[in-house]
Amino acid sequence: MTDILRISVPLTAWLAAFSAVYGLQGLVCSQRWADAGLDLTAGRIAMMVAWAAAVALQLVFLLALRSPRFVSRSAFVRWVSLMLAISALVATLWTLLPVVTTSACL
Amino acid sequence: MNALRRHRELERIWSSRPGWRGKLTTVNNNDIGLMFLFTAATFFVIAGILAMLIRAQLATPRSVFMGPEIYNQVFTMHGTIMMFLFAIPLFEGLTIYLLPKMLGTRDLAFPRLSAFGFWCYAFGGSLLIFSLLAGIAPESGWFMYPPLSSTLGSPGINPDFWLLGITFVEISAISAAVEIVVTVLIYRAPGMSLDKLPIFAWYMLVVAVMILTGFPPLILGSLLLELERAFGMPFFQVEAGGDSLLWQHLFWLFGHPEVYIIFLPAAGVVSTVLPVMARTTLLGYGWVVAAAASLGVLSFGLWVHHMYATGIPHMGLAFFSAASTLVAVPTGVQIFAWIGTIWKGRPEMHLPMLWILAFFATFVMGGLTGVMVAMVPFDWQSHDTYFVVAHFHYVLVGGFVFPMLAGLYYWLPHFTGRKRYFRLGETAFWLIVLGFHGTFLLLHWAGLLGMRRRIDSIEPGSGWELINLLASIGGFVMAIGFALVLIDVGVNAAVAVRGRRNPWRAATLEWAMPAPSPSYNLASLPKVLSRYPLYDDPDLPLRIARGEGLLGNPRSGLREILTVEIASGRPNYLVIFPTNSALPIVMALITGGFFVGMLIKAYWLLPLSVLAVTALAVWWAWSLGSSEDEGPQPVGHGLALPPASEMERSPGWWGSLFLLLANGVFFGSLLFGYAFLWTVAPNWPPPTLLEPGLAGPLLALGGAALAFGGIRLADRAVRRDAAPWLGLLLSLAGLAALAAAAVTVLARTTHNAHAYDATLWVVAGYVLFHATVAGLMTVFLTLRASAGYLSRVGEVRVVRLWTDYAAIAALLGLGAAWLPVALS
Repeated sequence: MTDILRISVPLTAWLAAFSAVYGLQGLVCSQRWADAGLDLTAGRIAMMVAWAAAVALQLVFLLALRSPRFVSRSAFVRWVSLMLAISALVATLWTLLPVVTTSACL
Repeated sequence: MNALRRHRELERIWSSRPGWRGKLTTVNNNDIGLMFLFTAATFFVIAGILAMLIRAQLATPRSVFMGPEIYNQVFTMHGTIMMFLFAIPLFEGLTIYLLPKMLGTRDLAFPRLSAFGFWCYAFGGSLLIFSLLAGIAPESGWFMYPPLSSTLGSPGINPDFWLLGITFVEISAISAAVEIVVTVLIYRAPGMSLDKLPIFAWYMLVVAVMILTGFPPLILGSLLLELERAFGMPFFQVEAGGDSLLWQHLFWLFGHPEVYIIFLPAAGVVSTVLPVMARTTLLGYGWVVAAAASLGVLSFGLWVHHMYATGIPHMGLAFFSAASTLVAVPTGVQIFAWIGTIWKGRPEMHLPMLWILAFFATFVMGGLTGVMVAMVPFDWQSHDTYFVVAHFHYVLVGGFVFPMLAGLYYWLPHFTGRKRYFRLGETAFWLIVLGFHGTFLLLHWAGLLGMRRRIDSIEPGSGWELINLLASIGGFVMAIGFALVLIDVGVNAAVAVRGRRNPWRAATLEWAMPAPSPSYNLASLPKVLSRYPLYDDPDLPLRIARGEGLLGNPRSGLREILTVEIASGRPNYLVIFPTNSALPIVMALITGGFFVGMLIKAYWLLPLSVLAVTALAVWWAWSLGSSEDEGPQPVGHGLALPPASEMERSPGWWGSLFLLLANGVFFGSLLFGYAFLWTVAPNWPPPTLLEPGLAGPLLALGGAALAFGGIRLADRAVRRDAAPWLGLLLSLAGLAALAAAAVTVLARTTHNAHAYDATLWVVAGYVLFHATVAGLMTVFLTLRASAGYLSRVGEVRVVRLWTDYAAIAALLGLGAAWLPVALS
């Protein structure tokens, strides 16, 4: 079971973070955000914080999968889980890059 | 016991009853797999005929071959049948047939569930075909966008066939997915650790998890749209707080992963067949596993790229455009691994290899046009044109049908036990490949010239006439090719000469048994020492037949099988499988009664069906397990293993865990829908908000605590050989309180007043349903304890899982319902 978690958790966390930031962007661009007295700058900052937190979480996974405490006893699982954690980190950096490169609500 | 006697004894134990009646009661993976394959092939023929009708209509300008109403039904049903009744069931059938053999075991994890899934598929599919024959088939396109598919755009019964029929069919997909995951994880040959899994098993593990997480959003969407159509709950009607874009989100949350759900099994076939054709082993096994797993997850981040033209802000578009480019990387890793495999081997140009080469050429082209439409500016130009139609046919036919034809010809000697003698297959290959490219390469061009999807007629002078005429000729050439494949397979299966075992000299365990396969698959379960057991030990088939593996001595007419530890593959438990039964088909029929009742608005049928299904489920579950502790049983080689039913994490627990994963995604999608409407839909906030009051939250909190604590108390009592009554009673009381909390929400809202009320009805209904299911399971557990079945904690753990889920869903769901007032 723990080997399955080692393999699946980093990419699942990417999916959750990706969906959450997309949802946050929807909220920032909605009337509800303005009703709460918040502007687009606050929204941009919130999304950047969320992105940074997602990247930090992926780095934690990567370090954990290399640490003796969490590493799998199977060399194969160790290798595959590491590759997938790297994929998840790259995916988090790349797919959420628009947070700092495009207009939020146009 | 000699090999022949062992074979006869195992056949007696594992085979279905003789004659056609045996097919109605069989639970054997060989029968069910073949039944899936035959039924899927039948649906493929029907959908193929519809495709030819489409091409006949578009071959000439202003054609009067079909009117728009019929044409709409024809193209909708072509897509629907191909996606839901052909592609998914085809690979499910192949997997049900092959996977236990490849894994070195005797059947899938839950044989009766396999049979139940098949009958749901057959009955649900038949409902859709009936609608086609009766001229009342769905006509809103295979993705059924409202308001075109709502009562406003389609007031007849047509979309209801789609919504209910497809949901009925999806029971079979979820069943098969649970089966596949649990089988790959714990039903394997002794010694088959994760790094020794056949590559096809890795692919199917990924696909099965994708089905469990990809299908629930569509099931939810279908449920919401049907509730809107039947009871006026306005989820997608803007004037009452709904939003038709919610459907697009739910549909494509399923629809994009679906593309990969279809592609990955085919990739699994390529990764299995290609190395054998190249006389080598797969290059970069670990890379391919990682690529398949990452593709499986990344594909869930693409759903909005089908919605670029809906007015989403640039940042949202950029998220999904970036994710869409990213999936090209793991796809590329697989393609380079396959090319490298060819490079390091000595390829032989047998028919399966020809199909793999056709796959390469076609799929790479389809993948590249996929990257084109992932770019927002290009997509805005080509959206809803024939360019997109051509692109996805390249991906689906090139990426699924061609590899499946490679698989068909590769495993044909296994299915039939015969050597292919008649060579129509090679002619068919050229007809299909040339016909396919003649059709769809040209249609890219038509799309770039502006030809829109779904138009029933083309105008003279549009510039599309010649392209469409040539494409139609290509389509008919392709159809002749497919007809030849059917003839080729039929003739060779019927009259070709007997062939030898393992004609391709492959290394995986499905070739370590006689062909066609005996009902029990393997006479004994071999110890697996590498990924390529037949390369390491060419005599393995003989030693298996001699009973030199585990479970080589059948005892007492029992269907015996082993489970293993997930990572190491060390045998840990003995499982006794159920025998042939009419229960699955009867249960599927009665489940069908529910869907038919909804369809024809005979609502009295619904409670009857639910009651009957509940009664049958209790009967089904009661027959499992044992009232006596049997302790460890001998399985051969001096090894004795305890029965799995006596352990904490029984196969039933694993099955429940993955079913609850799908269930959790369904619930998560519902909460997403609620948040989406709240954030984006016009006409929100609703005129009135639900006041939580005091009773509802108290019932929810108290009920969750009681249910959570009570079932643990019962668990502890069983582990200490004490009476579990108090714990069970407390848990039951807690679940009743959760149900009552849900009723307070239902009582204070009007289901059709506003999308807000409608959503709260569904959330509360979900909580009520799960509290009821967990309550029934607790009552069942109480009866089992009275009958002496609860000396071990296994069954309690299953109910604990469901009780915990019901409590968490109640707290989350009802909390979300009460949150707006609490925050205001």
